[in-house]
Amino acid sequence: MNMGLEFLARVRKTSAWLGGVLALMAATYVSPLLGVAFAAGGVWSLCNLQLLEKLVVSMMGPVRSTPQGIRGAGLALMGMLLLLAAGAVLLTLLSPMALLLGFLLPLAVIVLKAASQLLLGSRLWGGIVNHRFRAAFAAVAIAAVTWFALGALTSATAENHPAASHAGDSAASAGAGAHAADPHAEPAAEGEHAAPGGEHSEGGGHGFTNVVALIAGAGHGTAWSAFLEHYEILVFSLLVAALMLLVAFLASRNPKMIPSGLQNLVETLVEGLQDFIVGILGPKHGPRFLPFLGTLFLYILAMNLFGLIPFMHSATANLNVTVALALTVFVYVQFIGFKELGPLGWADHMLGSPRDLTGWLLAPLMLPIHMLGELAKPISLSCRLFGNIFGEDMLLVAFASLGIAMLPFQQVPFGVPMQAIFYPLVLLGGFLQAMVFTVLSTIYILLMLPHEHHDEHGHEEAAHHAH
Amino acid sequence: MDMHAALALGLPLGIGVAAIGSGIGLGLIGQGAMQAIGRQPEATAKIQLAMIIIAALAEALTIYAFVTMFLLQGKI
Repeated sequence: MNMGLEFLARVRKTSAWLGGVLALMAATYVSPLLGVAFAAGGVWSLCNLQLLEKLVVSMMGPVRSTPQGIRGAGLALMGMLLLLAAGAVLLTLLSPMALLLGFLLPLAVIVLKAASQLLLGSRLWGGIVNHRFRAAFAAVAIAAVTWFALGALTSATAENHPAASHAGDSAASAGAGAHAADPHAEPAAEGEHAAPGGEHSEGGGHGFTNVVALIAGAGHGTAWSAFLEHYEILVFSLLVAALMLLVAFLASRNPKMIPSGLQNLVETLVEGLQDFIVGILGPKHGPRFLPFLGTLFLYILAMNLFGLIPFMHSATANLNVTVALALTVFVYVQFIGFKELGPLGWADHMLGSPRDLTGWLLAPLMLPIHMLGELAKPISLSCRLFGNIFGEDMLLVAFASLGIAMLPFQQVPFGVPMQAIFYPLVLLGGFLQAMVFTVLSTIYILLMLPHEHHDEHGHEEAAHHAH
Repeated sequence: MDMHAALALGLPLGIGVAAIGSGIGLGLIGQGAMQAIGRQPEATAKIQLAMIIIAALAEALTIYAFVTMFLLQGKI
């Protein structure tokens, strides 16, 4: 009994992971609705298995014919009825084929797991695996057979009904330009995507599909969908802000002297940021500007990395967002200059702090140089962040479409996830750009503060270089 | 040569030329920073900070070319 339950638990885990990956692939390469249907079918089937297991345990296990066992059985039966109702609703809403496939997934996992247990114990398997060349040969043979079988299978289905099968699925979402990967790589769907591609091309190329565009496409023609389509970036940046608020709230809701869990993580982050910023600005000014600069860093980092979540989008891959961030920094820095130096001090700073005759003679030259320098700061900040994040997004899109195009049989509705090799680079780049933005903002603030001669020459050096 | 062909030829070339420049710059920055760290390992944090800032400034030039390409791409 115990052995069987453990087997079921392992089946659940495997099916959950496998189903998640497969559903994501279906949603990315075929159509999002199909992925949702597949995931729903898998979840339904897993719930069903769980309830069945509960029913069997409470009827046959050690608690049978006790009130607890009877109650468990009743609950399981009620759950199954509810599940049946939910299944009926799902069948009317989503594609039945994908639902069925999702439903079959845990069963397939059970069969394969059982078969592999049989196979692993058998003598034939041992004979193949224990010999190095025989194992390699077997692996190559399996790969070759799969390759040609896939090719034959897909070309056969393509001859029978050429691409009609997924034309229907993608028609539902075609309004949003729903194919996540580059539509030009899929000749079957190219006609549908000519129009939405044209709408989206204002920023140059078009990237991965995201949730907001999908929702907007579902309610095509209504007022709110037009709003969503137009303010997609705003929705994502506000979503990130809301998530950060949630995390901050959850971490500080119940503060303890000895932190654990989320509070621990957030405290580590905040302390690291504090050390970093106080190290640049010094102990006097550092803590004052920590809230602004730390928020800037975390917000930009979260927005940069948000695009890596499937069906999400980096808000910083849009010039509007980065210009807004850079303008915030610009206005704040000028405000600090006014507040700390006073209007006269600020003018003195802009004139290049003339103290002797040469200084005063050079002042008319220094004024426009300083003005231009101040104005160039937000431009360079915003363009750097936008260019990096947008460039990384485009890189991922290019390699995703390459992954689709590299499969020789074009009717296969999936591609090799070639973009995965760039995920480490994108992670690093997102972190680095958030850090660069924050460090440069910190140094702009440092330059505006009244200069004191303390012994931190390294930072002064860095500040002068950044100017 | 009409404008479209000129743009289609010039935009990628422009990025390439910009990338050569900032690539050389980044190499020099990295070289300097690595030598400095090798000479004075205890100053690693400060050197790295300055290196990242200057690297960002050098790299920005290519990014400007990249942004320009995307701004002009619609005109091809």
